[in-house]
Amino acid sequence: MANANQQSGTAHDEEQVSSEFLTFTLGAEEYAIDILKVQEIRGYEPPTTIANAPPFIKGVINLRGIIVPVVDMRIKFKLGTAEYTPFTVVIILNVAGRVIGMVVDSVSDVLSLAPAQIRSAPDFSASFDTKYILGLAAFDQRMLIVTDIEQLMTSRDMELIDDAASA
Amino acid sequence: MTIDMSQFYQVFFEEAEEHLVAMESLLLAMDIAHPDAEDLNAIFRAAHSIKGSSGTFGFNDLTEVTHILESLLDRLRKNQIVLHADMVDAFLAAGDVLKTMLAGHRGEAGADPAAVAAVCARLNQLAASGPSAPAARAAVAPVVETPLPQAVGSVASTARRSYDIEFVPTTLAAEDSRIIAALLDELRSHGDLQILSRPAVGSNGPGYWHLRLATGQSAERLGESIDFIAERDAWRVEATDSDTQDDAEGAFGLFENAAGLPVVDDSFGLFDGAPGAGGPDVIAMAEEGEGYGFFMPLAPAATPAPAEVQAADEGFGFFAPPSETGAAVPLVQSAPLAVVGAPAFAARRTDRPASAAAETSSIRVGVEKVDQLINLVGELVITQAMLLQCAEQMNGAAPERLVQGLAQLERNSRDLQETVMSIRMLPISFVFSRFPRVVHDLSSKLGKQVELKMFGESTELDKGLIEKIADPLTHLIRNSLDHGIELPEVRAAAGKNPIGTITLRAAHQGGNIVIEVGDDGGGLSRQKILGKARESGFQVSDQMSDQEVWMLIFEAGFSTAAVVTDVSGRGVGMDVVRRNIQALGGRVEIESITGAGTRMTVRLPLTLAILDGMSIAVGEQTYILPLSYVIESMQPAAQDVKTLSNQARVIRVRGEYLPVIVLHEIFNIRAAATNFTHGIMVVLDADETKAALFVDALVGQHQVVIKSLENNYRRVAGVSGATIMGDGHVALILDIPALAAMAKSAQMASA
Repeated sequence: MANANQQSGTAHDEEQVSSEFLTFTLGAEEYAIDILKVQEIRGYEPPTTIANAPPFIKGVINLRGIIVPVVDMRIKFKLGTAEYTPFTVVIILNVAGRVIGMVVDSVSDVLSLAPAQIRSAPDFSASFDTKYILGLAAFDQRMLIVTDIEQLMTSRDMELIDDAASA
Repeated sequence: MTIDMSQFYQVFFEEAEEHLVAMESLLLAMDIAHPDAEDLNAIFRAAHSIKGSSGTFGFNDLTEVTHILESLLDRLRKNQIVLHADMVDAFLAAGDVLKTMLAGHRGEAGADPAAVAAVCARLNQLAASGPSAPAARAAVAPVVETPLPQAVGSVASTARRSYDIEFVPTTLAAEDSRIIAALLDELRSHGDLQILSRPAVGSNGPGYWHLRLATGQSAERLGESIDFIAERDAWRVEATDSDTQDDAEGAFGLFENAAGLPVVDDSFGLFDGAPGAGGPDVIAMAEEGEGYGFFMPLAPAATPAPAEVQAADEGFGFFAPPSETGAAVPLVQSAPLAVVGAPAFAARRTDRPASAAAETSSIRVGVEKVDQLINLVGELVITQAMLLQCAEQMNGAAPERLVQGLAQLERNSRDLQETVMSIRMLPISFVFSRFPRVVHDLSSKLGKQVELKMFGESTELDKGLIEKIADPLTHLIRNSLDHGIELPEVRAAAGKNPIGTITLRAAHQGGNIVIEVGDDGGGLSRQKILGKARESGFQVSDQMSDQEVWMLIFEAGFSTAAVVTDVSGRGVGMDVVRRNIQALGGRVEIESITGAGTRMTVRLPLTLAILDGMSIAVGEQTYILPLSYVIESMQPAAQDVKTLSNQARVIRVRGEYLPVIVLHEIFNIRAAATNFTHGIMVVLDADETKAALFVDALVGQHQVVIKSLENNYRRVAGVSGATIMGDGHVALILDIPALAAMAKSAQMASA
């Protein structure tokens, strides 16, 4: 991992360049994803269900003329209770050329994290496969699970992409 | 020249392809015994256009071949030589070679030099040895003679004049002696030729030629031939007996700078300040450019014409006159060109307006613009539906004028949408037009005699579909030719006409376009197919219906051909055909009668982004049924619905029993009505089979814009797309044939 090199403590710009991350909560855990993958944040509206889809794929919604599937991460990863309140948030992602919405409990803030702040994750059994986890970051007193959301969304178990179409 | 021509390449490629297509179809349709003069002219013009424009872009390989082609065609259209079948084949071969050259310039695999040389040789040979037309026309011979060729379409006066022809050939022409030789032959065919000066053998550089020709041809006509072979702006044709420059043709300007030119006095007499001097000939040259398609804006009377005519030689009016011709260009601005008395000129002018009218009737538009337009119209339809819904919800509280306005709006948007959809629609003749050639070539290759009949060529379909359907159809036709139609002897022995027929038919049917490829050949052999299937390990039984047996030929690797040829037999084609057609959302079916023939039917949905739909409710969900599938709807009576032994439900409608598709079961939705008598049965025509769909209620009928589900999600079985309803929520559009299949397999599974 890159952080081994970051320990040198020099003030070179490249090592100090941070990326911005959007943080959100699912149940009791807090996640951070690359802000560049986020298109917008919306309130939750009941989507149109799709026949015979798995329960975590809630359906599709109309996003200014485009049909966007909505997945509920809380159902998929069994985190927290999947309630739909006026405060429920849908994060609209733009990953791998597709627009996908994901329901989360709440959105926190946008943070800058330098590569130095992200440490590799120990191999604990997390809600989802650790291969999607880029690392753990500490911020204030919070532990953020930095996730590769593109990999996760395009993976087979999210069932969002036809096998034929996926790589 | 420093102008970047590459921006115009695309236009050139498209135009050249159109010319080649036109040429080919005219050649194939030509009656060899009595060729139509107008057709010959049209073919000549197509070749001439390609020659001219490829010369502009410096695609000399194309120019050379088209020049030889054009000379031969010119003699044909002037009845100097007689057309025969060899020539037609040679022309077709030349057309093919030109196509490969074009592809080469586009960056794809280029032309095979051997093929090019072979075609040129063949054309030259035909030119040299072509039998001349009977009666009163002197034979073309390399010896100086005095024929007076009929000028068809040319406006030259028939009086013989003597012309001085001077030129510096292009390096290419100088190196290949055949080219100059061909030119000299051609000039000799026009009249008496004398060579006054030619480059010394072994001299460096292209050299300088000075010829004198006594001919009835016009200067323009001679100019054409010389222009091709000479360095740009390095040639001149001038009547020796005229003081005025009325009949002079030439490329002005750099003639003095061309390499190899002997030193002569600067002004060739053509650059006198006299306004009228350069005028008429210059314009006559402009006239040469007629019909290139992108040359239209040049009005004969326009004053910047002289400068533009430099362009006429090279640019056909679609770019600003280059300044490359330098100071010597007569910037004769004010020449009142109508002044000039040359009758040739006046006659030419009248030709122009007619062709101008025909040429400006179409516009090239990029496909992206059209797609954008279609999207916007789609959004308009959605908005209008939303307004309509709002008004309906007001339940009578809406002002009268608002309601009327909305009704008007609906009519307007419907008309707009239909018109916009039709922009992308092209007649299927675009696809069909290539098939005569395929049949022609393949039938001679296979030694079979086949006639191709086409019907419904004006049936329109979406441009995107046209490109994609060409390959599968070609394969079906080749299949019919190879496997279907028997050899003439076999046919005669069977009492059939030795000439087989392949029929292509296209028509609209419901929301689909139906294309049939039929032949009157031997038909499919049930025995052979079943046998081959068993051999290959397919699960077959003798109880299979004929339809099911025929469908076996679509399986990958299946072929009953005894011999694998390069046409077919490998068992690869039909599988790909079916897959391609399915990818377009279509289906292919086969009917066949042993001994009588086979017919393959391809059904494709007309790619409509906007659909007439009926919305239905099942539980809390709303779905859209494409209206084209709906025959009727009814509330069933208990006694009409029966259950069969394998759990399948059928309903009796007007005496027939139709299978029932229970939507809430297939989609696993909680429905409001589980008792059949409490819901609605919608009778559907699912492409040849009928079925009844059981739903809770009918909601309404509207036009919907089809949105893709698969862009961001994936294919869902039974759903062909999605749409946005007036209130903004998403409704799924049902795929009826798929649903029928799903229902069938669900029943079989539970049986």
